[in-house]
Amino acid sequence: MVPLAYFQLVSAGLFAIGLYGVLARRSAVLIVMSIELMLNAVNINLIAASSHLEGLANFAQFDGQIIAIFVITVAAAEVGLGLAIILRIHRNRSTVNVDEIDLMKW
Amino acid sequence: MPELTQNIGLLSPEFALAGLALGILAIDLFLPDGKKQVTPWLSAAGLAGIIALSLYMLWGRQETLYGGLLAVDAFSLFFKVFFLGLGILIIFTSMEYVDRRLDNPGEFYGLLLLSILGMNVMAQSRELLTAYIALELLSFCLYVMAAYAKGEPKSNEAGLKYILIGAFSSAILLYGVSMIYSSVGVTRFADISLALGSAGDVSPALWAGLALLVVGLGFKVSAVPFHMWAPDVYEGAPLPVTAYLAIGSKAAAFALILRLVAEGFVPAEDLWSQWQIIFAVLAAVTMLVGNLVALAQTNLKRLMAYSSIGHVGFLLAGIAALAPSSVLASNGVMLYLVGYSITNLLVFAAIIAFFNLTGREEIVDLAGLADRQPFLAACIAIGFFSLGGLPIFAGFAIKFYLFVAVATGGFLWLAGLAIFASLISIYYYLKVIRQMYIEPVPEYVAAGSEREDGIVYEPEQNLSPSFLMLGVLAISMLAVVLAGVYPAPLLDLIEAASQAILPGA
Repeated sequence: MVPLAYFQLVSAGLFAIGLYGVLARRSAVLIVMSIELMLNAVNINLIAASSHLEGLANFAQFDGQIIAIFVITVAAAEVGLGLAIILRIHRNRSTVNVDEIDLMKW
Repeated sequence: MPELTQNIGLLSPEFALAGLALGILAIDLFLPDGKKQVTPWLSAAGLAGIIALSLYMLWGRQETLYGGLLAVDAFSLFFKVFFLGLGILIIFTSMEYVDRRLDNPGEFYGLLLLSILGMNVMAQSRELLTAYIALELLSFCLYVMAAYAKGEPKSNEAGLKYILIGAFSSAILLYGVSMIYSSVGVTRFADISLALGSAGDVSPALWAGLALLVVGLGFKVSAVPFHMWAPDVYEGAPLPVTAYLAIGSKAAAFALILRLVAEGFVPAEDLWSQWQIIFAVLAAVTMLVGNLVALAQTNLKRLMAYSSIGHVGFLLAGIAALAPSSVLASNGVMLYLVGYSITNLLVFAAIIAFFNLTGREEIVDLAGLADRQPFLAACIAIGFFSLGGLPIFAGFAIKFYLFVAVATGGFLWLAGLAIFASLISIYYYLKVIRQMYIEPVPEYVAAGSEREDGIVYEPEQNLSPSFLMLGVLAISMLAVVLAGVYPAPLLDLIEAASQAILPGA
């Protein structure tokens, strides 16, 4: 069995890439995609952990897999909502560049 | 598995609320255009019924559902009734605004009800995944509501900023959950505290997981340095949604944090004493930055945003002072949440009534309000005095109780800093009050004018707020004064609720 630490490294790398994307990308759509990367890093972490942890009898502990399914579902809903709002902005202002969406500033 | 369906009847208020929300959405679909005004009345009546149902079914119960994922106890009942009651008042405050300015009113109230469902489950959840799902139910509704004025670029922008930051912060929170799960293999708060207590030396992965969890929640309650979304979202969102964000979502997030910390962190005493410092520093920075930046604001909604960040700092100070042997800090946080919510409701109801009359929301537009609309001016003044913490209003009682709790919890410096921050806050509250009571009435008021939003306003002296608004204002003003002079009955309820989450005290 591949050690858990390898999975955690992959997951941490993916999370870091997503984090970089959120901070560096200027298009709202690409930011949403980067957030998806971060959520998938979470899923890798959860599923790897759940197959390595000991559960009842001969089974691996499956809590992590259940959480991952919920995360996938919530992420899908989140993308739907995010894209709807981005589309609305695009209609009103013909841009999805977050640097140009700056009616309000602190 | 019999244990899963046992006690399922105790969830009936939640089922009823979900049914009500979906029912409102369905009814709205079939109502002809002229008749849509019944949806808010139906929603409010439904909420009142659910309050009665919850009190009847859950009073004095202390049980768990789904093998410990949800708790039915005094704590969750307290917050449930509180959220449902706030929901009714928010519906009444938004009615006129929604009717005039927003499309699809039925869906607005449907989303509002669904978000209350999310808040109720947040207050009951004792497990990370359940809490997360409830949090997302609340947040998703709020994302849509913030962007509800479809044609308004500001509202779109608020929605975009909110959903991007919100999704980003949930990803961080979830990564924290996954780290906690992969290092200890459990997600229930009580199990986490056992693992923390027995681990001796806590592994770096677990530390990182807990830290990411706190950062994610910090984004949700807009604690400094994770607050940058709040002012923009507050300013851009439609006014009733801003009110709801400031009141409801904040109280729900703190209900969750309170239970998480009390059941997950506090029992592991050695570790909690280290975490207390982190929460205390977070609280100190939040209250200072929130109150200092508020000094420079010119827009009413933005001022309220920074003021609410300052209040989050006070609440976090209460969280930092939680102790396994005393319910004082937990009482303080809950009392503060109640007092802060009703005071904010009073202020926002007055601002919404003012906006309905004039379509303006800058602080300078309030000039001479005491002569133009004396009652509204009095409401805003009382609300701001209360938020600043002056006696006989709720603000004094709650601040006094909370700061004493923080000081006895071992954080005397934090209590001192909180008093200093309150003093700063009085300055910008008084600035608004000066506008209303000392500045002369501007000339455009008497003339009547067409505003940017295209609605033509009559000369203002002929207008007065609607009866509904006056009713909400009167009720919340009464509540603010009552909670200030005689908080004892409220405190009894809160005491019972605290004992449910801190059984050792």
